[in-house]
Amino acid sequence: MSYNSFIYLFVFLGTVWLFWALLPQKWRPLALLAGSMIFYVATARRYVVFLLLAAGVTWAAGLLLGRLDELQAATGPSLPAPERKALKKRISAMKKGGVAVGAAALLGLLLWLKYLPFALRSTNTLLARLPGHVSITVPNYVLPLGLSFFSLMAVSYVVDCYRGTAKPAAHYWQVLLYLSFWPHVVEGPFDRFATVAPTLFDPPRPSYRAVTFGAQRIVWGMFKKVVIADRANMYVKAVFDDWTKYSGAAIVVGTLLYTLQLYTEFSGCMDIVLGSAEAFGVPLAENFRQPFLSKTVGEFWRRWHITLGAWLREYLFQPLVISKPMMRLGKFCRGKFGAAAGRNWPVWISLCLTWAAIGLWHGAGWIYLLYGMYYFAIQFLGELAEPTLLKLLPRLPGWRKTKGYQLFQVLRTFALVNLGMLLFRANGAQAALQMLRSLATPYAGSLLIKLDARDLAVLALGALFLLGVDLWQARHGVGLRQAVEKKPLPVRWGIYIGVVLLIMVFGAYGDNYDPAAFIYAQF
Amino acid sequence: MQCKPWLKNGIRAVGFGLALLAAVLVVGHYLMPHSNRYLTGYTAGGILGEDFDTIDVLVMGDSNAAQGVSPMEWYSQNGITGYTYASGWLSVYNIYYRLQNIYTEQTPRVVIVSTGPVYTKKGTETYLQCAIGDVADELLPLLRFHDNWKYLNFGNLLEEHDYTWRDVNKGYTAITDVGAYMSGDYMYDIQATEHIPLLARLYLDRIAALCDEHGSELILMTVPAASGWNHARHNGIRDYAEERGLTYLDYNTPELNPGIDWRTDTPDGGAHLNVLGARKLTAALGTYLTENFALPDHRGTALYEDWDADAATYTAAMTELVATNEAAAAYQLEQIGHTA
Repeated sequence: MSYNSFIYLFVFLGTVWLFWALLPQKWRPLALLAGSMIFYVATARRYVVFLLLAAGVTWAAGLLLGRLDELQAATGPSLPAPERKALKKRISAMKKGGVAVGAAALLGLLLWLKYLPFALRSTNTLLARLPGHVSITVPNYVLPLGLSFFSLMAVSYVVDCYRGTAKPAAHYWQVLLYLSFWPHVVEGPFDRFATVAPTLFDPPRPSYRAVTFGAQRIVWGMFKKVVIADRANMYVKAVFDDWTKYSGAAIVVGTLLYTLQLYTEFSGCMDIVLGSAEAFGVPLAENFRQPFLSKTVGEFWRRWHITLGAWLREYLFQPLVISKPMMRLGKFCRGKFGAAAGRNWPVWISLCLTWAAIGLWHGAGWIYLLYGMYYFAIQFLGELAEPTLLKLLPRLPGWRKTKGYQLFQVLRTFALVNLGMLLFRANGAQAALQMLRSLATPYAGSLLIKLDARDLAVLALGALFLLGVDLWQARHGVGLRQAVEKKPLPVRWGIYIGVVLLIMVFGAYGDNYDPAAFIYAQF
Repeated sequence: MQCKPWLKNGIRAVGFGLALLAAVLVVGHYLMPHSNRYLTGYTAGGILGEDFDTIDVLVMGDSNAAQGVSPMEWYSQNGITGYTYASGWLSVYNIYYRLQNIYTEQTPRVVIVSTGPVYTKKGTETYLQCAIGDVADELLPLLRFHDNWKYLNFGNLLEEHDYTWRDVNKGYTAITDVGAYMSGDYMYDIQATEHIPLLARLYLDRIAALCDEHGSELILMTVPAASGWNHARHNGIRDYAEERGLTYLDYNTPELNPGIDWRTDTPDGGAHLNVLGARKLTAALGTYLTENFALPDHRGTALYEDWDADAATYTAAMTELVATNEAAAAYQLEQIGHTA
């Protein structure tokens, strides 16, 4: 059941909402759970077993960690100091064991299903170069829907229980609801248990405002997906799937349109899922904040897929930086190369591993690793070049405050991100490199590839419209919906009806188009 | 009197829904094609250009029917007026609503529904998604014709719709290519039945009821299609026809096969019929109609002068098309001979 399908929007959402609203308050969380299970089973069928299993492991690990905390709180104060210390040490060791086993089991599921075939394929490539023709059979697993999302959310829950930032759920169904909640199980966002639990388990009363606000956000998401992303898909698919036929301007336009497609599709999907959850009074985490207004790639990644970046920062990068091996490395570098090296190298290595994880999270393949390393290289080289740049251009700090330079930074980031998108979308590393080479070859054919001039005009106007909305939101700091809400009823209705008509008329659906499935749902 | 909040919100929601529906219908009207030529795929829309109550036999279906049944043959030989309302991917849901529309202008004595659409669906869509999409398309013209904004300008936006275009071929689309089907028997009995999907069955029932209501005889018919039909599907339709007391003509079965030569009578490996195949099927269907229905011979009558003129044009064009198809068939046989 796709988020943009008629069945999801008009049958599933409406039915679950009615069911949820008509139930007494204490039963409402179970209506959400029932809705989530129906959604998952209708979409992924028997693969629900993996979700149930992950929820079981997560719940058990959280429960164990919670009980250990309770044990310490209950018995610790009554014990004499030395015994209290011993108990604390013992419980701390048990908690570490518990979190390690829990996280390893959850990540193990992800590694086994998503990365084992890739690892075996890579091993076979190496083995093929050795004498003896040895090869390992590569299993052909089908990934359970949302595995990359719910397994990481499960890890965050276990770690948060360990750290004490989340109170362990008392019941299995609560963890199951947290992981399987249908708006975030397919494409995220990565919500934290402590943030969503209060509204998931004790949702606010059904309200007209929540429903209308939710519906408005869904419509906005549909505009992005149906009018822009699905239209751009035809051009992008033609250029990237048949890349040997194209060069120069065709690849540039294809890449720009892919960036537009990915942004509108992913952020559009987020609008649909956040709107869906909002109708039930559950505020999910935002995943985008005007990413194309970023001045650096680091800032871009803090505005694009925000919750993935935040997850990796909190549960990978930060623990890595303060881990014992990194501390030892820092000490070693400080002794050998000075204080700055001791400070920087553990951070750079942790950052390199984090970017590798970001790349590989998107898919098990070398191209994804290359994609992650591309962003690491930009950040690393940027930092390395900074002192030299300041020496060469002493007025640079002053320039950086000017509007002109800031616009240059935004455009530079946009160009770098597009280059990254080319790597990301290309059919493998070889194709990516060939396409980069082909950029220098002029393209003599027509740029109207699979789309006519009117379609390209819709894409250009749609992109400008989105940019306008982003700039407006960045300037005013409030949501568009809140601003529209204050207008008189005829104006409001005019705007809402206008947007719905825009989607229906200019949407890329029907016989002449080939809409794509949500890209991030495949990760 | 103060309105309760839920009532106020309910009224507001209904009001918004009605305003939206009105806007959708108005915009849909302006996006409809200005000529019936472009109302649907192939030339099915031409039926709206025919004079009222002039069609005696209506054939409805998908591309198999559009390329497989040429009603002008019946007129040329027996004076029977027929029309093939068929286009690619037309579903049973579409057929129901289109038939409803056709009944506002025509009262055919016989309605022949091609069974291909009963089982077909696009890509990865489920039968339910397919049904919802097609029914929504029929109820809201904006969804079906939304892409027509590309052909609108200030000059033609408010132009009157002109639905008087007539098709000389009466909905038939002639294909003269030859692409042999060589995989052997496709109608072997595997003792299986592919049941008709629930919603398709529901709409077949509605089509049957509509025909009853208008006094038309409904016939289910399967166009020969080596690569799209099989015995399990035949059984599914046969069971349904028996249950409903309908006539079912499956021209894929040995009993009714009109003599299709899959080496020469298909343009695309057995999916559709070319001119040679269509002539055989049309002749067989024509024989069935003349043997079972007392359909009037309209040739030379005052009301059907246009049809007489169309028949002359059609016959002249078909002579050339048949020759082209025969040449392609001869070449195909030669190729097969070389391969063998």
